[in-house]
Parts: sequence; structure tokens; C-alpha cells
Amino acid sequence: MAKWGMVIDLDKCTGCQACTTACGMENNTLPGENWQDVLYYSEGEYPSGQMKWLPRPCMQCEDPSCVHVCPTRATYKDEAAGGIVFVDWNKCIGCKYCMIACPYGVRFYADEKPLVEPDLKSIFPGENGQLWSPPYQGPDEDWRRGIGIQPKGVVSKCTFCYHRVSKAPEGVADLDEDDPELVEFVPACVRTCPPKARYFGDLDNPQSNVNRLIGNKRGVRLRDETGNRPQVYYLGAGAGVPAFQRRERS
Amino acid sequence: MTNSNVMKGGAGTVLLVLSLLVMVAGFGYAAFSLSAHGHAAFNASSNVPWGQPISTYLYFALASSGLGLLAAIPLVFRVKAYYPVAKRCVFLAFIVLISGMAVLAMELGHTFRMIWAIPFGMQIESAMFWMGVLYLLDLIFLLWKFQRLEGKDWDSKTAKQIGVASFLGVLLASGNLALIFGMMSMRPFWFDGSLPIYFYLTGITSGMAALVFYTYLAYGFKREAMPEPLQRLLTGNLPVLFAALLGVTLLFILVRMVTGLYSNMPEVHLVWSDYILTSPVYHLSLWGGLVLPFLLLLSRNLRVQPGVQVLCAMLVFAGLFAERYYFVVGGQVIPLFKGTWAWDIVHYTPSAAEWSLTLMGAAMIFVLYVLGEKYFNLSDTPADITAPEPSGATAKVTA
Ligand code: SF4
Ligand code: SF4
Repeated sequence: MAKWGMVIDLDKCTGCQACTTACGMENNTLPGENWQDVLYYSEGEYPSGQMKWLPRPCMQCEDPSCVHVCPTRATYKDEAAGGIVFVDWNKCIGCKYCMIACPYGVRFYADEKPLVEPDLKSIFPGENGQLWSPPYQGPDEDWRRGIGIQPKGVVSKCTFCYHRVSKAPEGVADLDEDDPELVEFVPACVRTCPPKARYFGDLDNPQSNVNRLIGNKRGVRLRDETGNRPQVYYLGAGAGVPAFQRRERS
Repeated sequence: MTNSNVMKGGAGTVLLVLSLLVMVAGFGYAAFSLSAHGHAAFNASSNVPWGQPISTYLYFALASSGLGLLAAIPLVFRVKAYYPVAKRCVFLAFIVLISGMAVLAMELGHTFRMIWAIPFGMQIESAMFWMGVLYLLDLIFLLWKFQRLEGKDWDSKTAKQIGVASFLGVLLASGNLALIFGMMSMRPFWFDGSLPIYFYLTGITSGMAALVFYTYLAYGFKREAMPEPLQRLLTGNLPVLFAALLGVTLLFILVRMVTGLYSNMPEVHLVWSDYILTSPVYHLSLWGGLVLPFLLLLSRNLRVQPGVQVLCAMLVFAGLFAERYYFVVGGQVIPLFKGTWAWDIVHYTPSAAEWSLTLMGAAMIFVLYVLGEKYFNLSDTPADITAPEPSGATAKVTA
């Protein structure tokens, strides 16, 4: 079985947020509850001040701390599904321990105050246990893997678009959006990325482009000191998370 | 002796009705807000997932553990002087834990799912799995121990075994509760292997405050009305222990503060320098809720005064409640990998619905407490210690 990995080339990424938008559309996430987001950091001061940005999906960690803490096994790593970490919405009790334990801040309760106004939860009130019921809903739903519209009282996260990826032919090394045979199986963020800064493939396949990129272009994992060992790698200058610092409100 | 217990009379009934009203109002408000707005009724968010309901639960759970540990002084270590509070300790430990669990139940996304999902999941890697197991055991042992005491069985072999089992249960439950936080290396403000010790100490301190307050309450805050051995304990050993517990609690807080401020790491340093120590509420609770009672109890003359003891208990309630709150929220206020989306320390203040849960929990303790005082004799002691002993023998340990 494959071990799905993502490579994000920061030298190509323009920080345009197309991936974030595509993810929201694909997965019917509430505005602001961004399973995929681009984080911006401004560092230093004139004349060496810099702006950097880091696209951030769930890292689908090899040793995911979210899985270790989950008291119900609602959060689990499915090696048979390429090592993707899922949340089983039938089992999650909404204790939010996983949100505490994920070092990358990529899990969403969404059953919270709206992050963006207007509150779509009140415009499209939830039916049948859904947190909100928008008129357009993606065709795929699999609560055992946290796919579909998020129900009330549970945690959600990026699934590496398992509902697409899982339909790819067995044994394929990379899911490249330029390949017409494969384009439908590529995660939404990867498929959308205008400068082609994102790559998706099998980390267990020695022939894969993602492995080549990681090897040749010195791919790094963010916040590697956590020991979670992400399956998402970053290329290019700026692949590091600056320490938190308070900023003066201007 | 029991007639002097004012909770058995009209005063108790008034308190029962009042606290029942507050409990129902708190529950009603929280339940209504939750059904109308979902968890948006809370100010907890994806950035601060654990807010005041969790710190309230923690506060109650640890106060319960503290009471359980205090009960071990007479029931496990056989310090006879503490027999007069043993039964009340066990009872309070039970009801405080139940109330804490009620608050937690209202906080979770799917409370009832927990009943099958945790046992079927058997995720033994999760400290929260163990929290469920150990606090359930704790509850069972407390109930069992209480049932033994109710049957006037203080000294049989079984009673002793249950006492020891319960003592171990409390240590494991609250120690594990500490590790829920203490094992989180991605949350450096909490990451600390000695956290169980901190939880034991602060837990016993809040248990002691609860014990003092509710013991006085039972007798209408009149020490003269209490049975003689209880009076002896309250003027002898107990306030000294209370002072000592506050002292070590303060020491622990100081050490955590110094290490935190010394560290360069923003997740620890800034929490102390820019969040906790800049909060007037924290200062009020630290100086007024912990340091002041400590100083009062240090004085040989003051610490035996009933008024001072009750005041200290109430101050410590507030002091440690705030301590738990800042501990829980402090671990989350530095945004985790959010870039400029969260460009400052995350702001969190509890919402009305979150406060109503805290009130509900507190009122529930009063309700159960009055019922307990009414239907049981919580001041019961083994027959052989009711006879006056010469003072100075209060801390006598029997093998
Ligand atoms: S990034 Fe967070 S949510 Fe995703 S697998 Fe790793 S620990 Fe879990
Ligand atoms: S919130 Fe759900 S997925 Fe997260 S740890 Fe709790 S039960 Fe597991």
C-alpha cells in the first residue's frame, strides 16, 4: 500500500490561498475552519524585514500525537489508506484532547463562535446532525473517515482528500494534476495550486517524484522537533516556523 | 450531638432550596444556550479548546482527590485525631467529584457516546482513557468506603483494605489527571513530569478548604456546637496542616513561575510575563486567595479562630479556582502555528454559559451536601475516640 505524502515548494508558492479556497469548497468546511490554510509570518525589521508564508494542511504525521491521546480511537491512523489520519465522526466525543495534542494546530471543532461573519450556521441551519446544511454538498460522505459535512460536537481535519485519492489506480507513484488519467484523484489543494507548488505521491515508492524532490531539493518537515514526523515536506528557503512573538497593534 | 447540626433543620432546608434553584437555573441556562447555539454558546474555540468548564472540572476533580487524600489520614494512616472528619471527607470527595463530572458532561460534544466509545476503543495509550477508568474506580471506592462507614465499620480488615485501595485510586486518578497535561510536550507550559505532585498538593489544599468550610457550615459556623473531638482537631493539628499545605502550594507556584520566567521559550515565558502576571485577577487570587490565608494561618493565635479558618477556606476556594483557570487557559494562549492569523496572545474570557456551568457545579455540591448532612451522620466517629483525650495526643498514630 502507498504511503501518501505531500511536498510543498515554498519557492513557488505565492501565498494566493487558492488551495485553501479549493479545500473549503471540496470539503464543505465552514468559512475560517480551514483544514488547509496559508499562514503568514512577518519577520524582522527594515532593512532586513521579510514576509513568509507556509501552506499548512494536516501533516498526516507518521507518529501522530492526536492519535495517541484520543480516548475513543475516533482519531486513528489508517496505514491501509496510505497512512492518512482520520477522525471517525461516529466515535468522537468532542473532548478536544486531540486539538490540544496536535502541534500543528490543524484540528477544528467548528461547533464554536463563527470565525467569519455572517454565520453560515444560522443561515443554513444544520439538519440530520449536520453542523450546517448548505444547499450544495459534496457527493462524498463517510463519517467513519471524517468526510462530508461536519456533524455537531466532533472534531474535523484534512483527510488528504481521501474520497478522491482512494479512487486512484493501485500502485501509482504520484498523483499529478497534469496527467489527464489521474487528475480526478488529486487532492483539491494540489490540483488547484496555480504555480504548481504542491506535489502528491507515494513516499514508499522509490520511483516517486515526491521522493525525488525531497531528496534532491532537501525537503524538510516543519517543527520536526516535535517528533511527530509529518508526511508533508517543504522545499525552498523559508521552510521553518518562526517563534511566536507578540506584535504591536498598529 | 447531631442535633447541633444545623443542616438537619430549617437552615439546611433553606440552603437546599436555594442551591437547588441556583443549580437548576445554571443547568437550565447552559442547556438552553447549548441547544440554541451549540457550543458557540461557549467562548472556548479551536485556539483555546479547553475553557472554564474544563478548569472547573479540574478544580472539582482535584478538590475531590484532595478530600480523598485527607480521608486517608485517619482511614489509612490511622491518625486518630482525624477520625472526626473522616466520614465527611469521604462524602464530600464523592459529591464534589460527581459535580465535577456533571460539569464535564455538559462540556463534551457527545457525552453519552463516551459510555460505549471509551470502553470499546480501549485506547490505553490515552491518558484520558485512564482518567475515565481511574475516576470511575475512585468513585466506586469512595461509595464503598462510605457505605462501610455508614455501617459503623471503621476498623475491620475489609474496611482497611477498601481504605487503602481508595487511597491508591485517588493517587492514581489525580496523578493521571496531571499527566493529561504534563505529558503534552507540544504545550510547554504544561509539559512537566512533576505535575502530579503539584496536583496532589493543590488538590489537598482545596480539599482542606472544602473540609473546613463544610464542617463549619454543618454547625452554623459555631465551633462550640461541634462535638468535642472535632473541636480539638480544629484547634490543634488541622489548621497547622492547612497552613503547611498552603505553604508548599505557594512554593510550587513560585518555582513554576521562576522557571517559566527564566525560560526564553515564548510558550512558557510569555504565558507568565504577558498573560498571567499582567492579569489583576490573577494577582488578586494569588495574594488574596493563597498568600493572605497562608499568613493568617501562620499566626498561632489567629489560626485557631473559627472566623479566620472559615475566611481562609473561602479565600482558598477562590485562589485555587483561579489557579486552575490560569493553568488550563495559560497552556493554550500562545497560538500554535497560526502565523499572523493569531498575531497576539489568544484572548479568552468565559461566556455566560460557561459561567453558568461553573455555578451549576458549585450549587450541585451544596445540594448534595445538605442532603448528605440531612440523611447521614457525617460527623460520626468510632466509639472509642469520642471520649476526650489529653491535648498533645492529637496526632498520635496507632500502628
Ligand atoms: S498534523 Fe496534527 S492532526 Fe495531523 S496527524 Fe499530525 S498531530 Fe494529527
Ligand atoms: S475530540 Fe474526538 S477525535 Fe479528538 S481526542 Fe476527543 S474523541 Fe478523539
